Amino acid sequence: MPERQPVETVVMPSKVGGIVEQIALPFISVVLAMIVGAGIILIAGFEPVPAFVALFNGAFGTPRAIGETMLRSTPLLFTGLAVAYGFKAGLFNIGAEGQLFMGGLAAAYLGVVMGGFSVWINVPVILVAGMAAGAAWAFIPAVLKARVGAHEVITTMMFTFIARYLVSFLVSGPLKAPGPVAQSAQIAASAVLPKLHDMLGLPPSRAHAGFFVGLVLCVVVWLVLKYTTLGYENRAVGYNPVASETAGISVSATTIKALCISGALASLAGVTEVLGLHYKLFDQFSAGFGFTGIAVALLAKNHPIGVIPAAILFGALSAGAGTMQLQADVPQKVIFIIQALIIFFVAAESIAQWLFRLTRKEVAADAQ
Amino acid sequence: MLSDVLTPDLFAAAVRMATPLALAAIGGTICERSGVVNIALEGMMLTGAFFGVVATYFTGSAWIGVLAAMLSGALVALIHAVASVTLRTDQVVSGTAINILATGLTGFLMEVIYGHPGTTDPVARLGPVFNFSNPLTGTLGVVWRWIDSIFLSYTPIVYMAIAIAIIGQWWMYNTTWGLRLRALGEHPRAADTVGVSVVRGRYFAVLFSGALGGLAGANLTLEQVGSFTENMTNGRGFIALAANIFGRWTPGGSYLASLLFGFADALQIKLQPMRDVIHIPPQFFLMLPYVLTVIVLGGVVGRAVAPAAIGKPYEKG
Repeated sequence: MPERQPVETVVMPSKVGGIVEQIALPFISVVLAMIVGAGIILIAGFEPVPAFVALFNGAFGTPRAIGETMLRSTPLLFTGLAVAYGFKAGLFNIGAEGQLFMGGLAAAYLGVVMGGFSVWINVPVILVAGMAAGAAWAFIPAVLKARVGAHEVITTMMFTFIARYLVSFLVSGPLKAPGPVAQSAQIAASAVLPKLHDMLGLPPSRAHAGFFVGLVLCVVVWLVLKYTTLGYENRAVGYNPVASETAGISVSATTIKALCISGALASLAGVTEVLGLHYKLFDQFSAGFGFTGIAVALLAKNHPIGVIPAAILFGALSAGAGTMQLQADVPQKVIFIIQALIIFFVAAESIAQWLFRLTRKEVAADAQ
Repeated sequence: MLSDVLTPDLFAAAVRMATPLALAAIGGTICERSGVVNIALEGMMLTGAFFGVVATYFTGSAWIGVLAAMLSGALVALIHAVASVTLRTDQVVSGTAINILATGLTGFLMEVIYGHPGTTDPVARLGPVFNFSNPLTGTLGVVWRWIDSIFLSYTPIVYMAIAIAIIGQWWMYNTTWGLRLRALGEHPRAADTVGVSVVRGRYFAVLFSGALGGLAGANLTLEQVGSFTENMTNGRGFIALAANIFGRWTPGGSYLASLLFGFADALQIKLQPMRDVIHIPPQFFLMLPYVLTVIVLGGVVGRAVAPAAIGKPYEKG
């Protein structure tokens, strides 16, 4: 069967506001969130300034810290991209965490059994297999959404819990390595993603090649959304499903494709965590990267290139949080509060917009 | 073997397990009937569960804990109301932010107050309302045991949930305010035209759902467990939303749908000790409520019709 092409064009608006405003608004939102976060730290009886200094040092203070930020950003590039891709089609993939677990599962299994091949075969094959696992995990929610309208927020969330229990069962049962700990066996050396310091001759850190895979994928997804029929249909359905259907785009097929592709992207976070960092699977191997991916996508305004700075910001928060707790005694969970605040301020655009216009007016008034 | 499973305890456990789901589901019903999507029930429940324990810890009174739970749930809901009604933010996004905020805030404050992550110190729980001894023997004694377990064995919030479901159902279909609430979600413009304030009505509905979410949390910590553990709600807020949909956005329907999920949970717990006989790993039992939710949403319900204006911010024309 030939690929169905839209017979008419669905008109989508170009960006509202100038490029300055597009970049300034998320920036203002982050600053606002930091200020409110500082207030919470202060009320809880800690000193915000040393806390933020420690946070910054933990994220960027030394080469090792920068490597740690890159390491923590890596899964967020994939989950942020996954959530953004879904949003572009009007779908909220809140279950990226579950698809990530399935990617990790595929990687942990194949990383052991494929030990005999070279790294140039192993890594690409495992990346693709992981994407297939993630897409498969998103498939049932996708079909239920397209056929009966079951809300993907609930179904993908449920599939996240199911994935966690499945992984918990497998690492304590069929895939369990000998020993007291519930974890899978170590993957073969020929399936390991190389460390960045080995590749580039940098000072040692835990960052691995998955970071570059993520960067490249951001560009690829941007090109796909911008220049291909697949990407066009994705955006058209997200913008106006009724007009898209009239124009000859199958909304249900696009919905299924979008959620499965989103699942495939999210799964890579699990694959790279296993191949680049842990080398095995255990049930706590993800620090909620799927959920942080939502914040990344929103901060990036669902733009695949915007995902890069947004993922690095949240990666830096996560990398610096430990240092902050050590040096300033502030519990590192405060970064989840800041994360939620960023989502609020980005989503409630009117607050940042008002501040933006206010500063513009002041600048104009000063010029007179 | 079946008589080992189908005991009065099983049915009583089903009602107990249904209670937090039902309270949150009815909260979701009220909120969504007013036209505001509420995926923040999870966060409201978690917040209520935490502050219920903290207030009980400091005052020694579980009833003050229940009040604190409802109040904190409503406060979190206020954020959702401001964001989605006043600032016209995407309601699903605002709900997600609240869920993350609740996880962060409860985890953060746990370390500030208790000095460690994980689980809080235990507090005194609310006990059963009635405590009858079995006056009968023989067959009558068995009948009494069933009646006592299924109707008379519960803690206060369990009875409150049943009352809220019955009163809520009556309220929604037999009072002017109930009619107005439904109008807000179906045709806010029409409601506005006849003088019902859309903004005030939606604020009330969102705050009320927060208080019920908080009460659901109080049931978890102050009646079922007796302490708070990080992220202990474990997706119950989302299951409650599914129960609300399965119950067709009615308080009574939400309660009955929650009973189904509660029964699945009770059965799961009851069957766990038998896993040596039937050789099924515990994780598969734990998956049951989540699998059931997907089946209910995808298959059994068919296309449930949501309130027409749900998720759409209202702009006065």
